[in-house]
Amino acid sequence: MKNKNETKKYVPEIPQKEIEELRNSIKTTSQKIIAENIERMKKTSKNRAKTMQYFDENANFFGQREKEIQAAKASGKKVIGYMCMFAPIELILAADAIPVRVNSGWYDASKLGDRIVPVEVCPIIRSTIGAKMIGLSPYLELSDALISVLTCDGMTKLSEILSDYKPVWTMPIPRVKDSAHATRFWREELLATKAQIEALTGNKITGKRLRSAIELTQRATKAFRRLQDIRKGAPVIMGRDAMLVNQTYMWDDIKRWTEKTEALCDELEKMAQQKMWACPPDTPRVMITGTPMIWPDNWKAPTLIEEATPQGVLVADELCSSERLLYDPVGVDEWTMDDMLNAISERYLMASTCPCFTSEDGNEDRINWLLTKVKDWKINGVIYYVVRGCMLYAMEYTRVKRVLDRLNIPVYYLDTEYTREDVGQMKTRVEAFLEMLSARVDI
Amino acid sequence: MAMEIVGDVLRGIIISGLLLAGILVILIWVKDKTARISTLRLFVQIAFVPLLFLGLLIGPFGMPQSPQVGNAPREVLLGADILGHTFPDGISLPVLACWYPSGRTVTCPVWQMQAYIFPFWNAGPGFGWGTFYSSSGIERLAILMGIFIVMALVLGRFFCGWICPFGLYQDLMIRVRKLFKKAHLNFSDRTSAALRQSRYIIIAIFLILSVILGSQAIFGAQLVPDTQPGEYFYSYFTAPFCQVCPMRSLCVLLETGLGFMDANFVFSNTHGAFYEVGYYVTSLNLIVLGVVTVVSLAYRRAWCRICPLGGLTALFSTFAPFKRVALMRLHKDEEKCTKCGICKRVCPTQVTEVYEEKGGDVTASGCMLCFRCVEMCPYEDTLKVKMAGKTVLKSRNWLEPSESE
Repeated sequence: MKNKNETKKYVPEIPQKEIEELRNSIKTTSQKIIAENIERMKKTSKNRAKTMQYFDENANFFGQREKEIQAAKASGKKVIGYMCMFAPIELILAADAIPVRVNSGWYDASKLGDRIVPVEVCPIIRSTIGAKMIGLSPYLELSDALISVLTCDGMTKLSEILSDYKPVWTMPIPRVKDSAHATRFWREELLATKAQIEALTGNKITGKRLRSAIELTQRATKAFRRLQDIRKGAPVIMGRDAMLVNQTYMWDDIKRWTEKTEALCDELEKMAQQKMWACPPDTPRVMITGTPMIWPDNWKAPTLIEEATPQGVLVADELCSSERLLYDPVGVDEWTMDDMLNAISERYLMASTCPCFTSEDGNEDRINWLLTKVKDWKINGVIYYVVRGCMLYAMEYTRVKRVLDRLNIPVYYLDTEYTREDVGQMKTRVEAFLEMLSARVDI
Repeated sequence: MAMEIVGDVLRGIIISGLLLAGILVILIWVKDKTARISTLRLFVQIAFVPLLFLGLLIGPFGMPQSPQVGNAPREVLLGADILGHTFPDGISLPVLACWYPSGRTVTCPVWQMQAYIFPFWNAGPGFGWGTFYSSSGIERLAILMGIFIVMALVLGRFFCGWICPFGLYQDLMIRVRKLFKKAHLNFSDRTSAALRQSRYIIIAIFLILSVILGSQAIFGAQLVPDTQPGEYFYSYFTAPFCQVCPMRSLCVLLETGLGFMDANFVFSNTHGAFYEVGYYVTSLNLIVLGVVTVVSLAYRRAWCRICPLGGLTALFSTFAPFKRVALMRLHKDEEKCTKCGICKRVCPTQVTEVYEEKGGDVTASGCMLCFRCVEMCPYEDTLKVKMAGKTVLKSRNWLEPSESE
């Protein structure tokens, strides 16, 4: 083995003192932003479910959950981080490890990432690199290994950069999913990852364990779908609150998350009966789709929509940081090891509507799913949210717009960056769009 | 005469009323136990076994051809009279309810087709198979096919998935395999499609064989020796498919084992040491049954991939022009489908059309309408079973981990 520093491929030399300073300052800002965001969410919602309290607390990155994971690690558990929602959580759970999603939403960290990659790169990637450089994200720091699914160009190179710090297991994903060899290939990748998880944790993934892991995530999906169904009606929960619930799934204990979400749904159903709406029922119903939005910093687009005058309410989204994370269940035919693995591999590959896929008919799956959402959630308008550098989402916009135009659903292309500077002009754009929507709703 | 018809009608009404009441009682009793479609299907399959073999419960147990202990129950139960045409073999359902053993209440249409083609040209009524037929082969064939087509149009291959006792046998094999926690194998898509097409070759072969072996009656000349009426192979070879069908040996072995048939008689009624040919069971029957049993332990519903009866039912329900009028259809909503592939993976006969086709009517000829895909589809309302345009079953949010299996 060579000198450790020589093996570093990307990491710049930064003095320890500077790292500490940067970490402390960004952490302090972030804690302020988390508190502020939650405060604003509480203010926006006229009637806010009391059970949201749990998720508000859980939303604190530097709080209870971090200590819990630390304690679990001290008792010998392993933590496995993942970047894309294609990572097989069930396998991680079955090996008695803790899955956490480690993409970063910190605006300030993305500026640090500029020291390694150029500014044209997607800010999520830059921010994740930046967060790692200064050890900002508690979950990324606690991870023993990372699963990186090579969905977009950014993720592909991100895994290379992060491998300077931690073991990274890459899972290349076939870009055309609709073929037998694609499924076979992805299944092989899954088996390789399974072997790596087993080697890291020292726990063998047995059929019994895998089954209970699958049942655990199925229950989570059930709770999640219940929440989504409630949102089909008049708004009893603001979109940001629901998005926060979904986001906390990425680091929370899944069993507890499921219980709390069920409790939240119980309360929301009661509120719906008493007609305690979170905002006036005639508020324009907006769906957001596009680049993932990661808690805590990158919360500006939903905040702008729901705090604008006229107000809009997010009743659905098609984001891999939110609804796509959980909507599809693992459907097992026979509870044999073989079929469980098949089911897991297909749930991640085939059910996904990520724009990284293409097909003869132009990623029809995502288009169809968007159309279903528009109809089932009675959407008045769609905001197509893209951060600069996010090629896949940006390039699919024209197609999505054309299809939605046919349904006479207005779409607005909202492009932005990981920065707070454009909030003012974004506000103007969002409000103009909502103005138009509410005029249409009135008609 | 008129009084007799009224009596027959009344008796028919009473029997069918009792049957319906029985089915209803069972359905209500198992209602909460069968929230899942596959469990309900198992109950229905099991319930149909005694219905199809009702004669076993009420006796007396004569030989189907020449009753030795009095009249065979089928003569009392289902010997039918349709527009003056006597059907001593009973009416057929498109399921493998074997003609040979005693006690069945319906007949396998494959047997009937072969048997009726045989005296096809023999215009006048007469004796065949030891039973009296009041009409010629062509008339009986027409009635048989008429009823068959109507049933195929109404329920299609629903018969295969929910009623056929040989399907139940293979489903039990699946359960046996599950006990050992072994995974099933899959045919490649190409093999699967080839098997599906082979059904029609099998149909063609047995129809041509029926004609050749019945050449005495058709051409007045014997193409194969000893197949003249009254000669040794006459009664054996006019139903060529039945000499290889695995259901015949399964039925005969089961009924003999249960004591409903006399083992000495069954196994003495053969030619050669290994039942080369036999009235009740041939060595081919036994070999095919053995092979099918072993193969269906590895592959789900292996026999159904090549079953000529399933192929025929599919012919009259999934091919043009019949598919336009067939009532029971599987429907897919293109927009709600994310192509997650679950329907393809859970299908016991490896039908790919439900997954591959974009939307609309996705009923395929290989699909036996067991509705496993509808049960497992996790997107609400995406897959629907439509009966005459009305939705009777649809996919729903099934996310409650099952305790069964």
